[in-house]
This record gives sequence, structure tokens and C-alpha cells, in this order.
Amino acid sequence: MPGAMIRRTLGAAALLVGLGFLTAAPLAAQEAEGEPEISHASEECIHLLEDGGEIDDCQKAPNQLVPEKNEVIWGAFGFVVVFGFLTWKGVPAIKKTMEARTERIRGDLEGAEAAKAEAQTVLDEYRAQLADAKAEAGRIIEEARQAAEGVKRDQEARLQTELAAMRERAAADVESAKTQAIADLRGEVASLAIGAAEVVVGKNLDRDTQTQLVEQYIASVANRN
Amino acid sequence: MTVSDDRTTAYARAMFDVARAEGDLSRIGDELFRFARALEGSDELRDALIDPHLPASRRQQIVEDLLGGKANASTVALVSMAVGAGRARDLPAIIDSLVAMSAAEANKSVAEVRSAIELTDDQRSRLGAALESATGKQVDIKVVVDPTVLGGIVTTIGDTVLDGSVRSRLERLKQQF
Repeated sequence: MPGAMIRRTLGAAALLVGLGFLTAAPLAAQEAEGEPEISHASEECIHLLEDGGEIDDCQKAPNQLVPEKNEVIWGAFGFVVVFGFLTWKGVPAIKKTMEARTERIRGDLEGAEAAKAEAQTVLDEYRAQLADAKAEAGRIIEEARQAAEGVKRDQEARLQTELAAMRERAAADVESAKTQAIADLRGEVASLAIGAAEVVVGKNLDRDTQTQLVEQYIASVANRN
Repeated sequence: MTVSDDRTTAYARAMFDVARAEGDLSRIGDELFRFARALEGSDELRDALIDPHLPASRRQQIVEDLLGGKANASTVALVSMAVGAGRARDLPAIIDSLVAMSAAEANKSVAEVRSAIELTDDQRSRLGAALESATGKQVDIKVVVDPTVLGGIVTTIGDTVLDGSVRSRLERLKQQF
């Protein structure tokens, strides 16, 4: 596991740094035990006087940015130790981790590529299905349109037939009504005429005429044979 | 045959026997026949004779007022009897049955003659002879004066109709319109 390895490496580096400080402190204490305790400022003043400086130079404030020499030596030593340890253990671990990460990223990329290809395949299939669906929909719509056209033509034909039949019936009804009206009128005229004739005949049929009609009837019956 | 037909026949038979017993069957038959036709042609007379609210004596009085002095006493008595018995509604059918019995007894067919005027005996005789010659049957003529024929005669013998009336001529003329 790269993460665990990095954590172990960093832990070891911190341990080494801590050991460096622990070893530097006793050495400094050992130096102090061998000679009478002189302050750092006095020691620097002595050095200045030995180098031909004047006493006034001792009154100047030391440079706070420049560390002690032994501190620089031990610090450099610790740095080298830590750097060497890190180079010895950390770099391979980091390299291994990076390689694993690279492999993982490559695998992820390949997976993504495969997924992309698969998605592309699915997309192509979807597009093909969509195209088929569109074609099917177009075919269905065309069939529906043709069916609707057929129904429309049939309805128009039936409507025309019914209209023709209705016109024919209407014409026949009109003709029948006309004929009936003429017949009724004729019958009415006939009834009026016959009624008038009956009145006239009834008034003009006197006894002699009635007798003559009876005689004609008797003669006609006798002559039936 | 229904109960009504049985009663009609029974009444006709009884009246026939009475008329024959009186010895003037032909005349009584003629008068009854005319009365039957008059009854059929007059709603007012029929309603009066079948009115159940009128007492029988009143209805018989109407008959006697109508026929008294104009018809044979036996004819008046027979009609009065039928009306008093509440058979006025069936009287035309009873009389027709009686006339048919009379004609059948003489081996004749009833010839119903409707004329606008009354026929003389000579005309009846010559018409009877002509009808017998035309139909080949012995006929018993029953004349009914019917002004609706306007002129001429209509004779009905069974299902045979010999129509020589002015009315039928006018009707034929109407059909030709």
C-alpha cells in the first residue's frame, strides 16, 4: 500500500531528526562541563580581542542571523543523515508509490477508455435503435397516413353515394308528392263535379225518367242472356 | 254457430212459422224486409228501439205508430214482439234469416232490389222473370225503395250484384277522372 509506506517513511525520518537533536544536546552540555562557564557574549568578545579588535567592538550586538558553528555542523550532519535516509528509503518508496499511482492512473485511463469505447458502442447501438425507431415511426406514420387517406376516400365515396341516394329519394318524394297532389286535386275536382252532377240529376230525375230508367234496367237484365 | 246466431235463427224460425200460419208469408216477408232495411238506414230509429232506458211498451208503441195502418197486422205484431223482447238490435239479421227461410222453402233465392221509386206489380213481375232468366234461379224479389241510388235499380242475389243505378254510373264517371 503506497499510502502506508509513505507514512512509515515519514515516521522514520521524524525519528531520525529527533535522535539528531537528542545527540546534539548532550555534546553541547559535555563541552560546557570541561571549562569554566563563559557567556557567549564574553566568548565572542575574547575572540574579537584576539583577532586585533578593540574593546568597543565587544559592545556591538551579535548577529542574530548567523548560527553557532557547532550548530551548523550538527545541523548539516543531521541533514545529511536525514537526506541519506530519505534517499535510501524514501525515494524508492516514493518512486514505487508514484509508479503504482501511474499504473493505477494508467489502469484508470484504460478503464475509462474501455468504458468510453463501451459507451460509444452503446451510443452507437442507441443511435442505430433510434434510427430504426425513427424509420419505424416514419413507416407507421406513413401507413397511418395511407390508412387515413383510404378511410377519407371511402367516406367521401360513401357520402357521395348517400348524397346521390338522398337526392334520388328527394326527387322521388317530390315526384310522388306531386303525383299525389295531382291525384288528390283530381279526386277532389271529381268529387265536386260528381256531387254537383248528383244534385242536378236528382232534381231532373222526374217520375217518368225514373220509370224509364227502371224499364231500361229490366230490359238490360232480360237481355243478359 | 254462436249463441247469438242460435237466437237469431230461433227468432227467425218462430216468426217464419207465425207468418206462414197467417197464410200471407210473401207479403209479411216483404214488409219485414223493408222494415229491416229502414232500420239499418236510420240511426235515430235504431237508437230509439234499442234504448234500454225506454220501457218496452214505449218502444212497441213506436213500432205501432210507424207501421200501424201501413203494414199487415201480423207484420206489426212480429216486429213489436221482437222489439219488446229486446231484440231490436238483431232484428235485421232475424228478418234476413226469415226471408232466406221463406225463399228456401219455395226453392228460390232472395233478390234484394233497391230502386229509387216504388215498382209496380207489372215491373216486379217482369223484373223477376228477367232475373230468373239471367241467373237461372227462381227468385223471391224483395224491393227496397232507396233514394240514394238516384235512379235505376241495384239487384243483389247472393254474391251477384246487378247494378244499373245512376249512382253507380256517376261513380264510374268519377273513377275515370
